[in-house]
Amino acid sequence: MLALATQELAEAVGDIPVIEFVEPIPGFREDRHFALVRLEEGSPLCALTSLDHQDLQFLVVPAVLFYPEFAPEVSDEVVGELAIESPEDILVLLIVHAGESLDQTTVNLRGPLLINTVTRRAAQIVLDDPRLSVTAPLLGE
Amino acid sequence: MLVLSRRVGESVVIGDDVTITVLEVRGDVVRVGVDAPRSVKVHRAELVAELAASNQESASPSQDAVASLAKALSAKGRRPGEQPGGSSPDRD
Repeated sequence: MLALATQELAEAVGDIPVIEFVEPIPGFREDRHFALVRLEEGSPLCALTSLDHQDLQFLVVPAVLFYPEFAPEVSDEVVGELAIESPEDILVLLIVHAGESLDQTTVNLRGPLLINTVTRRAAQIVLDDPRLSVTAPLLGE
Repeated sequence: MLVLSRRVGESVVIGDDVTITVLEVRGDVVRVGVDAPRSVKVHRAELVAELAASNQESASPSQDAVASLAKALSAKGRRPGEQPGGSSPDRD
């Protein structure tokens, strides 16, 4: 099991021009390459934009900024696929579902995105834990 | 779809290296064991479907939604967790 990405890493997350998903995100089989771009300086919001299809974009946030206790267990298999050498290299992102207001905006804790900031490989992992919601409030803690 | 009848303890082999064994049948619940290489992902189907649906619902939010969320978050401060309670952010 790996420890979380540190807050410092989340704060420092810069743009990552090309991220390769080692396997497709469920629901989007044809999109493997994405770019991570911080929406604006000082904002936790980042855009994860497909480089394979022009119109596909996800809004994501570093998990540690909103769910600091969130500590997904990462299997050895994923560690191998992402070529993870150090837990500090891993950035955990949550996909945001933008609601009509901040209170209605949710994040997916069931399927966090892991990005190895060194190898730039990524995966959406599936956490088989009923306590984790796919629609957890963004401002839940 | 191939349909096979199996008893408890019997197995089905898929390809060269995936074996599914019926472990227990109790009422309408069947417990199966899946023996597969690490490279083969095994998940409950509804979990993957749930993720796919969630991903699709979240994909490509409108520019307006993104802009109003960014504004609301910046009004709230960067780390909402440190501000328990609190009032709703201003909305347009």
